[in-house]
Amino acid sequence: MRTAPPGELVVRARNGDELAWAALTERYTEMLWAIGRAYGLDRADAADVVQLTWLRLVEHIDALRQPARVGAWLAVTARREAGRILRSSRRRPAPPPGDPVLERLPGPPSPDRVVDDRERLNAVVEAIGMLPDLCRQMLRLLAASPTYAEVAAALDIPVGSVGPTRARCLASLRKRLEESA
Amino acid sequence: MTDAELLELVSAAFRTVEPVPEAVSAAARAAFGRRVPGAVPARLVSETDPPVTATLRGPAPRLLTFEGGGRTVEVELTPAERGFEIAGRLLPPADARVRVRRTDGEITGRTGSGGRFVVEEVPPGPVSLLFLLPDGSSVVTGWVRL
Repeated sequence: MRTAPPGELVVRARNGDELAWAALTERYTEMLWAIGRAYGLDRADAADVVQLTWLRLVEHIDALRQPARVGAWLAVTARREAGRILRSSRRRPAPPPGDPVLERLPGPPSPDRVVDDRERLNAVVEAIGMLPDLCRQMLRLLAASPTYAEVAAALDIPVGSVGPTRARCLASLRKRLEESA
Repeated sequence: MTDAELLELVSAAFRTVEPVPEAVSAAARAAFGRRVPGAVPARLVSETDPPVTATLRGPAPRLLTFEGGGRTVEVELTPAERGFEIAGRLLPPADARVRVRRTDGEITGRTGSGGRFVVEEVPPGPVSLLFLLPDGSSVVTGWVRL
């Protein structure tokens, strides 16, 4: 089921197949979470984006014209929900401080090697946080292994510019990591 | 380091530093249970944001209109001291039971004269309204975030 094409999972879910639905969520939840975070939402708001996006798919699953493109549909839906939340939070009083993108998880006591690995991974996330917005968003999203069509839908850029932007952002990240090494 | 290796490192970094919370994954799976087979969907056709300036009487409501199956649902969402007040109207008017569906349960109400209804103290989060009509049919609105 996990390896079934997305379009087939959509068709099965339409017919009430709960396992097909679970497989869809397993495939795309990480991407939706990445989209919420890429747009700078805190964890609670990013969780709402993911939840609303899945609820909208439940609502529209029978009406999807191209089931095979469900990933791009989810990405567009999540981007719009993120935009809606950003606009409404601008109208509200100042948001509580905290929840920076560059959070560090408190690590339990662990062998030196594990600590080294974690520090290395933290350094990667920090380096990405220093990049310009588009690269920061692009790399946050690429972490969830989406297709080019899904990246284009999530970031609202032409599919043709995903490849060049991806290459440029990876080069910037590599340079930054080398400088800090 | 090749692009593929660098990407693998980026994925590993985010999976370690800010993984998808398990509650988010569980909610995604559970969303499938929110289907209402047989209900007529009423889609959001218009939404008016409250004005930027708060009124003297307190926060202004958001006005939403849903349409589907020949019915219209008008809804006002107003932040209150405790949660939100959901007030609205089902048109054409009908004597209906109203269920405010949330991801973790439901709050029930009833339409009164002219198809009007009010449900109070609804906690923030995604909600959808389900109307159960006397003839056994039902209408369900799209999800909106309070």
